[in-house]
Amino acid sequence: MLCLHFGNHILYENADLDHTADVQLHSWGDDLKEAFEQVGMAMFGYMTELDTVEIKEKHEIEAQSEDLDGLLFRFLDELLFLFSAEDFIIPKKLIITNFNTETFYIKCSCYGETFDLSKHPQGTEVKAITYSAMQIVQNPNPNQNQNKVDIFVIIDI
Amino acid sequence: MVIRTYDQELEYIERLTDYSFRIKKGFQPNMKVEGVFYVNKHLEPLMFEELRNSCRSDGIGGFLPGMKQIANVAALDGIVGKSVGLPDIHSGYGFAIGNMAAFDMNNPLSIVSPGGVGFDINCGVRLLRTNLMEKDVKPVQEQLAQSLFDHIPVGVGSKGIIPMNARDLEEALEMGMDWSLREGYVWAEDKEHCEEYGRMLNADPSKVSLRAKKRGLPQLGTLGAGNHYAEIQVVDEIYDKWAASKMGIEETGQVCIMIHSGSRGFGHQVATDALVEMEKAMKRDKIETNDRQLACARIQSPEGQNYLKAMAAAANFAWVNRSSMTFLTRQAFAKQFNTTPDDLDMHVIYDVSHNIAKIENHVIDGKEMKLLVHRKGSTRAFPPHHPLIPVDYQLTGQPVLVGGTMGTCSYILTGTEKALSETFGSTCHGAGRALSRAKSRRNIDYMDILEQMKTKDIAIRVASPKLVMEEAPESYKNVTDVVDTCHKAGISKNCVKLRPIAVIKG
Repeated sequence: MLCLHFGNHILYENADLDHTADVQLHSWGDDLKEAFEQVGMAMFGYMTELDTVEIKEKHEIEAQSEDLDGLLFRFLDELLFLFSAEDFIIPKKLIITNFNTETFYIKCSCYGETFDLSKHPQGTEVKAITYSAMQIVQNPNPNQNQNKVDIFVIIDI
Repeated sequence: MVIRTYDQELEYIERLTDYSFRIKKGFQPNMKVEGVFYVNKHLEPLMFEELRNSCRSDGIGGFLPGMKQIANVAALDGIVGKSVGLPDIHSGYGFAIGNMAAFDMNNPLSIVSPGGVGFDINCGVRLLRTNLMEKDVKPVQEQLAQSLFDHIPVGVGSKGIIPMNARDLEEALEMGMDWSLREGYVWAEDKEHCEEYGRMLNADPSKVSLRAKKRGLPQLGTLGAGNHYAEIQVVDEIYDKWAASKMGIEETGQVCIMIHSGSRGFGHQVATDALVEMEKAMKRDKIETNDRQLACARIQSPEGQNYLKAMAAAANFAWVNRSSMTFLTRQAFAKQFNTTPDDLDMHVIYDVSHNIAKIENHVIDGKEMKLLVHRKGSTRAFPPHHPLIPVDYQLTGQPVLVGGTMGTCSYILTGTEKALSETFGSTCHGAGRALSRAKSRRNIDYMDILEQMKTKDIAIRVASPKLVMEEAPESYKNVTDVVDTCHKAGISKNCVKLRPIAVIKG
């Protein structure tokens, strides 16, 4: 399994989890908000080289679900849709402006531009988000080797 | 869940023949039927290694080994006969890729599972023939590869060039290849050589989300990325001269074109939407499965019916998609050789679906039953005289198209009686991954792969060259082992071997 790790935009692969199918995204952050934003960027990092993306416009997305896993799924599905259908936006930066962990609602501002084949190198295509082995790990009091929040998601490519 | 050692697990696996193993009930809980899988001596260690590794791991990681997945499918409500693993099996989302299973339509408990079809609904392979020979194409090999690459939109973020608006899409979803024919993109006889004649009649676009349609619209007539490709191939070897001639393949060196693609973002979204819907239906109808990824619904429930109608629309999308690329391929060849596709005899030999669920009649223990047959990474392989195969192939059996991996061979097989009786008329679909994408990236350099192609004199055009190592032949099982296993086991018969001279990829 290929793992894209997105903490502070560091991209590397993890040798521990190997599987023949698909790609696992791993992100982390100081809170859920940051880890969610980062896992979104990890997905886009697989589609193109994010260094080539400029911030030219802003798009808002919303996601709502019944639990936290469901919210993560819906959030990524919204982001995938933002890229895959009319206006074809590739974001460079995500800022979650509203994260309600009681009603499981997210509002997120996506800053980027329209995907342009003459400007953005083609990575690969993400077919779908999956619930497979989805993990949202929260450590309120982590030791120095731990993150406060870790997220693992497998995407189908 | 019972934790067993590898040796304990092996007690449930029994050799049936030189090319098949039985998975006994009890290997996983609630198995209603047994499992079976087909391997030869090269593929066998891969299967067992996967099981051994899973016994060692501490439960981290998303996927179960193929054998466990076959057994979990055997535990689904309404399954009949057995859960079948084909030689190219590798583990996937719920169902393994290379797994087929059939469910009794007359049992009210029977289920349909989007995981048993896959995200890429009606992903399949189409083969076109030409009357060109290798010597005609070799001098313009590079130009032709470039021309195909220029004609067919490939890779992430590419858009279709066939003019389409929302209303056209609705019609295409309902009509499948009849739409392509009406719009002038295909020939009438192309339809004859497609499963279902390129149109599933139960398609209902009103059961498809707006989201799926919005993802689908810009992508109609695009190849995609990942393992999808268009290849110019030449006939390398003919094993069954008579059957090959029925397909219009007369001699080695003849040039063909293979297109491997599916229903693009449209199908992916239909599958995603159905999985979310079915999670709720499973709670309501108290459907229990061994693996949470095996989301399913009763065939007769609203969710089950809606999925089948939306899946059929996605299947139609895929046929229109492959038909649009057929049109573009014919244009590219006609321009290059300054003639018409007609004069180049560019007929569709056949078009197979290897991610699909279909309603078919099969004889089980001497009794005819109406079944919902799921084939995920598995190709239908009906024998001679079967009513569902076209008149041209009534005597040979259905052509089965098996795509290899970048730079390796592909095969045409034919369906057999034994497939009908052993595997519900199903055989393999391709090579099947052996290495993870991560391992491929770590161990293989993309420059080496491009160099390898050059050495083999294969022209290559790739949208994302840095990802070619993920699709390198080393990352896959050997397709020759896969088709040989099917041939030896009798579930399909070798007919033609094709080798690529140009590859176009996402």
